[in-house]
Amino acid sequence: MSKKLFVIAALFLMQIGIKAQEKKINFTEYNLPNGLHVILHQDHSTPIVAVSVMYHVGSKNEQPNRTGFAHFFEHLMFEGSDNIARGQYFKIVQGNGGTLNANTTFDRTFYYEVLPSNELALGLWLESERMLHLKIDSIGVETQRKVVKEEKKQRIDNQPYGSLLEEVFKHSYKVHPYRWTPIGSDQYIDKASLKEFMDFYKTYYVPNNATLSISGDINIDEAKKLVAKYFADIPRGTRKMNRPTVVEPPITHEIRDTVYDNIQLPAVVETYRIPAQGTKDYYAINMLTTLLSQGKSSWLQKTLVDKKQAALYTGAFPFALEDPGLFIVFGIANAGVKPQQLESDIDSVIAKVRTTEISDKEFQKLRNQIETNFVSKASTNLGIAEQLANYYVYFGDANLINTEIDRYMKVTKEDLLKAAQKYFAPNSRVILYYLPKSAKK
Amino acid sequence: MNIKKFLTLIILLTSATLFAQVDRSKMPEPGPAPEIKIADAETFTLDNGLKVFVVENHKLPEVSFSIMFNYPPVSEKEYAGLSNITGSLLGTATKTMTKDEIDENIDFIGATLSTSAKGVYGNALKKNIDVLAKIMGDIVANPKFEKTELDKIKKRTISSLKAGEKEPSTIADNVKNVLDFGKDSPYGEIETEKTVKNITIDKCVEFYDNYMRPNVSYLAIVGDINLDEAKNLADKYFANWKKGNVPAVKFKSKRPPLIRKVAMVDRPSAVQSVIHITYPVKLKPGDKLGFAAKVANAILGGAFVSRLNMDLREKHAYTYGAHSTLDDDIYMGEFDATCEARNAVTDSAVTQFLYEMKKMRSEKVTEDELNTVKKFMIGQFARSLENPSTIARFAINIERYNLPKDYYKNYLKNLDAVTVDDVYKASKKYIKPDKAYVLVVGNNSEVGKKLKKFSLSGKIDYYDTYGNKVDPDAEKLPADITVDQVIDNYLKAIGGKDKIANIKDETVAMEGNIQGMNIKITVVRKFPNKYYFNLDLGAMQQTQKFDGKNAVVSGMGQSKKLEGDQLEALKEESEMYPLLRYKELGIKPELIGLGKVNDKSAYKVKLTFPNGNSSVIYIDADTGLKLREASSRKTPQGEFATTVDFSDYKDWNGIKYPGKIVQTVGPQTIDMTVKEVKINSGVKDDFFKVD
Repeated sequence: MSKKLFVIAALFLMQIGIKAQEKKINFTEYNLPNGLHVILHQDHSTPIVAVSVMYHVGSKNEQPNRTGFAHFFEHLMFEGSDNIARGQYFKIVQGNGGTLNANTTFDRTFYYEVLPSNELALGLWLESERMLHLKIDSIGVETQRKVVKEEKKQRIDNQPYGSLLEEVFKHSYKVHPYRWTPIGSDQYIDKASLKEFMDFYKTYYVPNNATLSISGDINIDEAKKLVAKYFADIPRGTRKMNRPTVVEPPITHEIRDTVYDNIQLPAVVETYRIPAQGTKDYYAINMLTTLLSQGKSSWLQKTLVDKKQAALYTGAFPFALEDPGLFIVFGIANAGVKPQQLESDIDSVIAKVRTTEISDKEFQKLRNQIETNFVSKASTNLGIAEQLANYYVYFGDANLINTEIDRYMKVTKEDLLKAAQKYFAPNSRVILYYLPKSAKK
Repeated sequence: MNIKKFLTLIILLTSATLFAQVDRSKMPEPGPAPEIKIADAETFTLDNGLKVFVVENHKLPEVSFSIMFNYPPVSEKEYAGLSNITGSLLGTATKTMTKDEIDENIDFIGATLSTSAKGVYGNALKKNIDVLAKIMGDIVANPKFEKTELDKIKKRTISSLKAGEKEPSTIADNVKNVLDFGKDSPYGEIETEKTVKNITIDKCVEFYDNYMRPNVSYLAIVGDINLDEAKNLADKYFANWKKGNVPAVKFKSKRPPLIRKVAMVDRPSAVQSVIHITYPVKLKPGDKLGFAAKVANAILGGAFVSRLNMDLREKHAYTYGAHSTLDDDIYMGEFDATCEARNAVTDSAVTQFLYEMKKMRSEKVTEDELNTVKKFMIGQFARSLENPSTIARFAINIERYNLPKDYYKNYLKNLDAVTVDDVYKASKKYIKPDKAYVLVVGNNSEVGKKLKKFSLSGKIDYYDTYGNKVDPDAEKLPADITVDQVIDNYLKAIGGKDKIANIKDETVAMEGNIQGMNIKITVVRKFPNKYYFNLDLGAMQQTQKFDGKNAVVSGMGQSKKLEGDQLEALKEESEMYPLLRYKELGIKPELIGLGKVNDKSAYKVKLTFPNGNSSVIYIDADTGLKLREASSRKTPQGEFATTVDFSDYKDWNGIKYPGKIVQTVGPQTIDMTVKEVKINSGVKDDFFKVD
């Protein structure tokens, strides 16, 4: 290499360094006196703003005889308030050029509006109204009770493999509330009463259990004033929140079961318990997931779909949660392939990842994939608002949106092997077969 | 007073003033409307005709390459699925790279790459785009189609077709496309196991050569890149892609239904129905009523707060969500309103769909509603700009649909100009509740009957999961029964294999009635293949004989040797119990379904004879007895469908024989009663002798 070229290369590297810094997501965060955590990110590239509120309550805070309650309640949050008549919430948002939605997971419930940026005050008014004085009546409850049950039919009961998560969590947990999923069961959805909803609301839907995260075409100082205007007078909650502390004992013997579903092709699901999100091993498990199932050269994809042609589809998902969660490997058999065959092919891949240290080249590939994923995550205002809230609620550090990549980069090849050996042990797993109903004797 | 307390006081006072400003009863007023800026895409064309659009956006250090093959819709007919499979095959190997190498190289740089019938998409960090562009260029310019990869893709495609047979939304989409566009339209063609199996490497190569050409394609390069960099990459990696003469195609499509029709696909275990109200629409991109049509659909069902969702979800709680789309298209557009609703309210949901559609035609929308929906659509437009590839999409749409150059720059202005009257006009033209298909994929026994009222002809058309019309009374086969089991059951039921194998000859005497005339029929068969048939009409007689080789028909003093199809027919008849030794005889049995014969469930077994003829026999699912034999035979008078029904089985020396035989040929029915059956009476060979 000539000297000149070397200099240019060095310049180029420097530029990349500077550029990478430019892509840093800057944000402001603070608490209101009532405990509401506020995160603000400014980005003028599109004249829109995402306003979101994350409440730290999900299905794991439910009582076992009221499963599905947190998600049902999420539907009621659109009913109205002292100043917003029933049915108006959606109309106000969409009629002012916005979009809105919400979702409930095991650990938290997330609400958002994406509005034209001149409607920031509107978004704040809407979210503060339902945080301060939500109004629900029996008509609303009964209507949403039916809507929620339709949602369950559409997404789970009437879908091939739709019950997968429900079955996986039911079989993997015996005492922890992760043993049921956010959608819950019809019988308890039927029982939930108006009074219980109001109790739930007063307990969990309080500023000291919420994070207001805003991203978009805003002016930080004006936004701060508006946030104070609409949220400062919402009283802090005082009721005791149910935060489960129960520790799920480890699985010591493999658990096996069969689910008969309205499907054509058998599927095999293997699940392993994994550590809570944010722990060191959690990053190793995430990288193992990438190794196993991201891209066509990933091990599951290459072995099961391409080479052995045992699977029509395969994937691995780390269900990392606030408390220890699950690593799920899923495969749908190609026509004519027996589930036993698919299982043994999955096992050969899992065995390899437990016994082989990956090559330097493959390790570099993994790091490159993680880096790309990390960069691409920050592509929309809504995505940024949600990630900032997530990092704050789960890890207590919103800046992980910029720095979490460092935690991945600390993971070594040896860490990967150790994590695979520790968590993907055959005697601690659950194996479910999904078979067509016609196969039921 | 100490300073600290004083400060607290100030803070409290300030907060108090802030609180006092909030009048919560009033919705906040918006600030001044922000300007919605639409960036420009830069464009250039390569020598091979590839049009390239570049959108610079430096928000993230990544770049995407998106190639769109814009060939016209192609009829694939018996190769349905060819374009999809060619699209999947593209990218599995090139002349310089194996599949493993492509997969590894793409994953190594953390990029994503996907190929399909419609194009190739890739995304990578800025620092890796050279590698990505090189691979993408190689994929489109120098693909290598290998049989091993084709076979893998076909296997997966067939598996996923099987999986789709249980997916209500997949079923509904299949049938909807058949209804709206027709099975012989590129928009209504359905891939099946059979059409996928027909696809060969040669067909894929031909498809690629014909249609996946740069001169009918667009390349969008979007992200952290400037025009010069983009030009360099495009020149370097996409200029070798050879242009070609893309064949023109004639687009075929159905006309909209003249009256409202109800179509149903039965899913016996369904707990919820998928409902579509749908029909084809002639609406091209850029139509002068286009904006009014978009607004009309948004009011009806294009948003959460649209009439359909507010009615079906928020008012009646029939569904988790109801919405509608009105798609424009150069060739043929489509209207589709849809929801999923539980069985008990499926018909009520259809009623509300039709009610809301009718209302769009009978009443003008209010100014208020119009303004609300315009604001919603402006917001939607602004939000779409968050994704930089939207600008590239706009530029490509202007090209491919031949829209005015300033179509998107004027989008909001034109949207704002839509009036209540325009919406009314567009509704009258495009929303047609009385000339629509009501398609329901659901549980027929629970919802079917209640859907009849929506059909203007009073009947429901039933379809299978691939859009073929079916008989709703036909039942589904149990998965675990095989054709051999059905045949065994039949042989057992009529006396058992051993007894049947011992039959050397059999004489059956029947009496009956044809068009008021009394007739007598005698049939004699001798193992292995001798046959005698005598029809006695009193005044005249007819005899047919077959001695194993030759056949003759005689009557009224004349005699004629039979040849061709007639000889074949007698050969078939000569076999007493063909199912006993069907393998020897070269008969291919196939279990084709469950059917009904006079309310009895029966297995339908199709028998294909070595000469190519076939019959379908119906075996009673309970008793194993043969209930019917249906066949179609060519005669000098044309092709005749014959059905023979068997009932009143009686025992003759341990062999069961039907007491009643009813034969229907066309409009003619012959009722026969079996009077006597003689088994092993020692019939001599001479009896069958053909002179």
